Amino acid sequence: MSLLEIAQWIQNTDWATYIRMSGYVYPAILSTHLTGIALFGGAILITDLRLLGIVLRDQPVSDVVGQLRVPKIIGLLIVATCGILLASSKAEEYYYNAFFRAKLSLLAFVFVHALIFRSGVYHNTAALDQARRMPGKAKLAAALSLILWISIACVGRGIGYIEPPLDKLHASIAGATAGSPR
Amino acid sequence: MLIAFENPLNENALAFPILECFHILGFAITVGTIALVDFRLLGFGMMRQNAGALAKSFAPWTLFGLVLVLLSGPMLFSSDPDMYYLNLSFQIKMVLLVAALIFHYSIRRKLLLGRLSANWNKPVACISLVLWVGMIFGGIFIAFIVTPGQ
Repeated sequence: MSLLEIAQWIQNTDWATYIRMSGYVYPAILSTHLTGIALFGGAILITDLRLLGIVLRDQPVSDVVGQLRVPKIIGLLIVATCGILLASSKAEEYYYNAFFRAKLSLLAFVFVHALIFRSGVYHNTAALDQARRMPGKAKLAAALSLILWISIACVGRGIGYIEPPLDKLHASIAGATAGSPR
Repeated sequence: MLIAFENPLNENALAFPILECFHILGFAITVGTIALVDFRLLGFGMMRQNAGALAKSFAPWTLFGLVLVLLSGPMLFSSDPDMYYLNLSFQIKMVLLVAALIFHYSIRRKLLLGRLSANWNKPVACISLVLWVGMIFGGIFIAFIVTPGQ
């Protein structure tokens, strides 16, 4: 099964079809996705700004980062759940969508970012409390995190601007199948 | 006499989406920072800080987001004023915006300055969250409902 076939299969499931065809379920999920972005974004912003020493400077890093972990996870769960529903409902269209591909690639970078900085920065806040000056690594992690998430938000907006010429694509796929040896 | 001129925003295909990105980043910053304080009022999240102190630390960022939103919003509006003006979702969004701003800088501010009883913490947080989240829904639904005459 090719990736395209998997995308077609997802898009054609009953629930994905329902979301796509619905008048108001799709925008309701999209609105919830954006609400999650605000919540998740707020928690990420304050976490990273604290690491950069811009916000809540008089509060210990461990306090700020630690307390924001749960709101951050809840926000991420909302964003991811809605995101998966939205993407599934148009999986085949998004297969061709350059912005969607860019967004998935950037999300892979989030994973890399976590691999590099999670243990040393975000889960090492007790040590950051003791540090006389914020280590460069923590500041780098915060700056990259902000750049990454801002890019993801902007690229995500771009997804909606690409209307894939599905008729042509389907025709070419059908043509390729028809042209194959009988 | 009616003077017709083209809105420069409509002459560049990228102008609208780029403005939208600023709009999204702006509301995320504003609503995100407000939500963290509202959660604190509801007894969740940053409990080791005082709600008033949190609000004070976040205020410049809340305002920064608001500036982004209020600069990009009217420009987005100008791309197709008739449509927005007649769109029910847009109308509701504007009512919510005015209500949210007034509420934010009056009753909610008063509470966070300690001039209201703590009994008001939860109702104020809930009203604030409902207003701001309602605005997000209002914004998204603009594109998904039928505008009369369009």
